Order: sequence, then C-alpha cells, then structure tokens
Amino acid sequence: MLKQISLGRYYPGRSMLHRLDPRAKILLSFFYMVVIFLVQKPLPMLLLGLLTLVLMLLSQVPMRHIIGSLKPILFILIFAFVINLLTIKGDELVTIGPVTISEQGLETAVRMAVRLMLLIISTTLFLTLTTTPILVADAIEHLLNPLRRIGFPAHEMAMMMSIALRFVPTLLEETEKIMKAQSSRGADYDTGGLIAKARGLVSVLIPLFVSAFKRAEELAIAMEARCYRGGEGRTRLKVMRYTPMDIVFACLLVVCCTAILLVQYL
Amino acid sequence: MQAFIDISKVHFSYRQSNQDPLLAVQDVSLQIAAGSHVAILGRNGSGKSTLARLINALEQPSQGIVLVSGRNTAQEENVWEIRRLCGMVFQNPDNQIVGTTVEEDVAFGPENLGFPQPDIRLAVDEALAYVGLSDDAQKPPHLLSGGQKQKLAIAGILAMKPSCLILDEATSMLDPVSRHDFMQLVETLVHDQNMTVVNITHHMEEVLLADFVYVMSGGRVVTSGTPAEVFDQVSLVRREGLDVPDHTEIAHAVASLLDDQLQPLEAASWDSSRLAILRLLDAAKRRAAQTNWRPALPPANTPMDLEGVETVVQVKQLSYVYAPGTAMETRALDQVSFDVHKGELLGIIGHSGSGKSTLIQHLNGLLRGHKGQVTVLGMDGSTNADIRKIRQRVGLLFQYPEHQLFEETVFQDIAFGPKRMGLDMAQIEPRVLKAARIVGLQDEELERSPFELSGGQKRRAAIAGVLAMEPEILILDEPAAGLDPAGRDEILDYAAQLRQMGVTIILVSHSMEDIARLADRVLVLRQGRVHAFGRTADVFSQEEQLVRAGLSLPRTTAFLKSLCDDLPALDWHCFKPEDAAARIVAAGMGLSIGAERTV
Repeated sequence: MLKQISLGRYYPGRSMLHRLDPRAKILLSFFYMVVIFLVQKPLPMLLLGLLTLVLMLLSQVPMRHIIGSLKPILFILIFAFVINLLTIKGDELVTIGPVTISEQGLETAVRMAVRLMLLIISTTLFLTLTTTPILVADAIEHLLNPLRRIGFPAHEMAMMMSIALRFVPTLLEETEKIMKAQSSRGADYDTGGLIAKARGLVSVLIPLFVSAFKRAEELAIAMEARCYRGGEGRTRLKVMRYTPMDIVFACLLVVCCTAILLVQYL
Repeated sequence: MQAFIDISKVHFSYRQSNQDPLLAVQDVSLQIAAGSHVAILGRNGSGKSTLARLINALEQPSQGIVLVSGRNTAQEENVWEIRRLCGMVFQNPDNQIVGTTVEEDVAFGPENLGFPQPDIRLAVDEALAYVGLSDDAQKPPHLLSGGQKQKLAIAGILAMKPSCLILDEATSMLDPVSRHDFMQLVETLVHDQNMTVVNITHHMEEVLLADFVYVMSGGRVVTSGTPAEVFDQVSLVRREGLDVPDHTEIAHAVASLLDDQLQPLEAASWDSSRLAILRLLDAAKRRAAQTNWRPALPPANTPMDLEGVETVVQVKQLSYVYAPGTAMETRALDQVSFDVHKGELLGIIGHSGSGKSTLIQHLNGLLRGHKGQVTVLGMDGSTNADIRKIRQRVGLLFQYPEHQLFEETVFQDIAFGPKRMGLDMAQIEPRVLKAARIVGLQDEELERSPFELSGGQKRRAAIAGVLAMEPEILILDEPAAGLDPAGRDEILDYAAQLRQMGVTIILVSHSMEDIARLADRVLVLRQGRVHAFGRTADVFSQEEQLVRAGLSLPRTTAFLKSLCDDLPALDWHCFKPEDAAARIVAAGMGLSIGAERTV
C-alpha cells in the first residue's frame, strides 16, 4: 500500500509557523539564509542557534522529526567537517601521528558545520515541514508573477509543479501494480545479477512511461474540456493575503537578526 | 422549439500518420432537446466518443454543423461558452482530476472561467454538497474511491453552472454499486435541475434510464428510438455486440422455443415480458392439445461433480492486515478459509474493498498472510523456496492486464513468462503460438509492437502472456473490466474454454451475471470475511444472504422468480437467459427438460 506515502516531510499542524503566508515564508527563509552566512563570530552564532531553537519550538513539530531532516546531509556534514579540520593550517592544537589539527581548522570546521545545520533546519522548518508542497508551488507562482512581463512562464511552471504533485501518488500506485503483474509472470526484482535486475526494471519502466503519456494526453483533453486556456484571465479559489500576523512575525524576525548582526559588528 | 444540441449531416475523420484518414463519424444527424436524457449506445470504436467530443467542441466536424444552444462549435469565439455549457465526464477517473485537493479540483473550472473569488467559493461548496463530497473537501483526490472520483468530476462541472452533462463511458471503470450510485446522481440532475444528459455507454441498464437512444455502429446511427423500441430489435442489438435486458431476451427465447412470434414492444418492460410469456404458453398449450406438436427443449446442464476431486488450493484461517500499527491499519482479510478443486471454476464475488484482490495475491505469493495457511498444489505459499515454483504453475491476470505489456513485439511479450521459467526457444515458440491461437491473435499481429494494437487486442495479448506459461491454475481478476458486452463475452468464453482443457480457474468479478453463468462454486466475500461459500445454485438461491452482502440476485434469476406465482412448477435457480427459457417452457407445458448431459 503505497497510498499512505506523503510527498516531502510536511507535518500537519496549526502552529503559527504553519499559518504564515507561504510567500512570507519563502522570503523569510531567503533572508535567514543571508543572515546565517553573515554571522562569523561564536557569540552571534550561538544567538542565531537560540533563535532557530525558538522557531523550532514555535512550529510545534516534534524535535526528533526536525532533526531527522538532517539525516540526508549527514554524510556531507561530516565530510566537510573533517576536511576543514585536517586541511586548514594555523596554530597547532594537537598532533596525532601525521595528523595536525590547528586552532583555525577547528574553528572553521565547527562554523561550517553549524552553518550547514542551521541552513537545513531553517529552510525545512519554513518550507517543507510547515508548508504543503502545493502551497509552495502557489507561492512561487505569486512571487514570480512580476517576471511574466518579461516572458517568464510563472503560471505554467506552477501548474506543472502542481500536476506533478497530484500524480505522484497515482503513479506510485501504478508502479506497485505493474511490479506485481510482472512478478506474477516471473520477473524478479530482488535476486539475480545486475543485468537481470536492469532487465526487470525495463519491464516496469516501459509500461509506466506508456501509461504516464496516456494519462498526460487524457488529462490535457479533460483540462481543455474544463475551459483551461493558460493563466490569462484566471482567478483563484484561494487568494493569498498577507495578514497582520505575517507582518508582525517578519518584523520580529528581522529585528532579532539585525540585533544578532549588531552584536557581531559592535 | 429549437433543440439544445443540433447535429446535422456531420462527418469527422481522424488524421493518421502514413495511412488513410480514419472515418470516425459519418453522416450523423440528431437533435437533443433541452432537459432530455439521451443515451448513445455502441460498441468500442463505433464513433460514439468522437461524437461526444464534437458536441463539446474538442473536435470540429470535417463536414456538417454542430450547434450547441444555437452556437456553432466550429467558430473559435463560441468554444469556451460551449464547453462551459456542456460539461464532460471521461472514462478514467484518475486522468481528469487536476487539483491536489478535492476542493481545488472543483474550483479548476470556475478559476479558468475567471469567476470572482467569492463566487468560486460558493460554487465549489454548492457543487460538493450536491454530490455528497462536502466532508472530503480537503482530502487529496487519490484517497477517494473510483465512484467518488467520478462524482468529483461531476462536481467540477456543476461548479461551472452548465446546462448539459456529457458522460463519455463515465461508469465503465466503476463497480456495479458505484455505477448505480453515480447514475442515480445523474437522474437527480435531470429531474431537479432540468439538466440535459448525453450518456455515451455500452451498459444496457443505463440506457433503460434514458428517454431516447441512438445506436451507433461504424460511425453511423443505425437505429434510434425509446429504450423499449430499440431493445425490441433483439437481433440487431445483439449483432452490434450489445446486451438486451434479460426479460426481453428470455421472452424472445421462449417465443422461438414455442415457434411463435411476439407482438412489437410486447417484451419491452419487465411486466409486459411476463404477460407475454404467459400468453405464449397459453397459446402453445392450446396448440399442443389440438395437434401433436411439442416444443423441442435443449438438454439441461448439470453442474460438475466435485465429489472426491483432488484439492489444488487449500486456504485455512487466512488473515491479512494492511499497514499494521499505523493510523491507516485496515483488516483486509479475516480468517478466510476455502478450497479449490482441480478443474473447477470458482467464482469470487464481493464489493470493492471486500478483500478479493488481497485474497488472490496470496495464492501466488505476492502477499503473505499474517496468520493462517495457504497451500497451493501441495506447496506452502509462505516460504520463499516454493513461491517461485508456485508462480510458474499459478497464472495471475490482474485487472487491465494490457498495462503490463512492454516488449518490442507481441510475440516477445507473450514469450516473457515462459522465458523467465527457463525454457529454451524450441519450447517457447509452440507455447506462444498456442496461447495466441486461444485468444485469437493473428500471426501478423505477433510481429507488431503491442502498443500499436487496439484496446481489445492489447487485452488479448496480455492474456496470452499468462496462458503461455501454461498454468495449472489461472486466476482472473475482473478480466472483462472496461470492455463492451461483445468483448466481455469473448473473454469469458476463453475462461470456459480453458476450463474444458482442464485448467482450474478462479474468476474474480463483481458482476453477478458473469459469475452465475460460469462458476461451479462461488465464494462471497464481505468486509474481508467469507460471507457464503458453496455451489453456485445454492449461494444464489439465498437471496436474503446476498442482499446482506450488498449484492442482488442475477437479473435472470430475479425475473424467473417473479414468474413463480403463475408457474408453480418453475424451478427458478437458473442464471442463463437461454436455460431460463427452456425451464419456463418445461414448467408451463408440464414437460421435463431433455436428457441431462454432464459438462
């Protein structure tokens, strides 16, 4: 039963972070990213960490779930840490055999790792954990809308994203069905050599592609039958409006971040 | 009064690459009045779907004129208003949903039309309430059932404030209960909202709901009239590969057994058919009293004797739970026990969600039970070592098997299974040719790409792919789903043929008629439990028990039962119209049915 899978790691909830306007969240996460890269010294870094912790608590998403989003980059994180630690030359801290760790190396490595972690946590917190993918798509359309004047297909892009999201579960279900059907005919996806496995994959991918194309064709006709003719003159059921909460939250975040940066430069 | 839809002398042909254009609609003229319910009936490829697209301005006629509410579909500026006026529900529920939530999908049409936001909200809420999906407004559409998805499609159209609904085989992928539900919704729309309905279908039961019927064949309208007038032409309707109502068919069969004639429209309705049969019997009795004429009755079939026959499948106390320990936990099978004898045809029947598909996947090791035992051909269905061997001897044909085709040629696709069994080419080729012969594929078709074949041919190729493995047990999951009556009869014929060849067959279906016609024994599933299990005649004679499982008597049986008051000697435990006629004549004339033959 692949029906239960959810795309992304959206964690359903009604917290303040969930209810913020998705456009505000996209813009704020960009802003936060810049701040993360501007912060250099340990104290402001610590303050920024605390601020992120507050955001984590505000989201009401379980800590374990948030930390879990670091898993995919764990390898990169460790790799970057070790490389920085070992390659940056400076005042010697400890020497173990041929390996020398410098003070500057340790500092850069820690800064790098903390930055990466803050970056991942803040963006997943704003975008993946508290915003559904479809809202992200909508928000991107709205934000890119001004670019339409220079011919950027903002509406088309958003429509493509939302249709893709709509069909992911359908195609997953279909994949499962096809695999079962081919297994019944003797196809084997688990055992056998590399070539046998690749061969098995072909028996799934070809029918899947054929059906996806057929679906695309039928969907296009169904959309036309429902008077779809591109983004021109189209209205929306859900209109995005910034609320006072968005403004207050954005102001607070900007003030906090500015304060942290002031601590660093003063 | 001007007709709402006015089609006059329309021709349409599809352009085909490097072939002559395909003439899909030829010289069709018809008028549909506002507020009427019209059915367009025809087999696959008769041009009926093309006609729907012509009405909706998705295609423009190559000759002739299509007017919708006085607007010419060929004029660019009319297209959007025509599409708003005539909403269209398509065949595949999944491929017409655009939105990621139910509510957003309904809003799609009004959004395209540029309705102001408050109006969209209102239209969406009203439409969802009308089709009964208000509680599901925030759900992602893939969690809806097939029937709900089609209702969602209707809601999406209603939100555009249309005056006509075109159903393009909208129910052909639904089970009988959802189909009934769906058609009831359509009927309500006709009556409450004066909606014009054009239903393009091959389902005889749906056509009976219409005010007027056009039958299409080869792109032309071959006959038209009220449903009663159309179905009275039994031989024409049959020739077009379509079904006629059981009561009409039985009355006609009785007339021919008695060498007599029916009056025009005499067998049109259920009641009039009953009276017609009684009239024919009276006349025949008088004739028999005066002359030495006696009707010749065909021999009756006796069911296969299963006493002492080897058991090939043994299922004991099988339970299966989907996603155990999560919020989505569902008990799909609950202590299911049954057996299958060698050479029999076992029918498995039940609603969508009753556990049929889950059950059959246990029979070739695609799923393993959490509790209980599955023994297939003496092997244990839960050990890895045996599963490969089981899959070679048990063929499982899924619903819409044409979706599994993938090889470059039909021949290679059919050969896939045998090849995986480790056979060499010398053994494979005769198997492929034999399987292709059973399903009626020509040699030249074997060299073509499976994707070039027509829908019906693809289904045949997929069936051949399983047959070429020469399974001892063949499991068919809704093998006739989505086919027109002629296609359905053909596939069910293969099942009967294979059974004659000694293959044990397990047929899963939600059609009472198909199961009743073919099965030796029937297993009725309800909410994952065995609701009834036994000989077909025994199971289908317990009407109350069937009704409790949400099923009804096969139509033929129900009609026979209604004749019992007048013909006390009538044995109504019968499921085939042709057998039913013989029984009626035997009971009415005091004859016994001819020498019994065993199958």
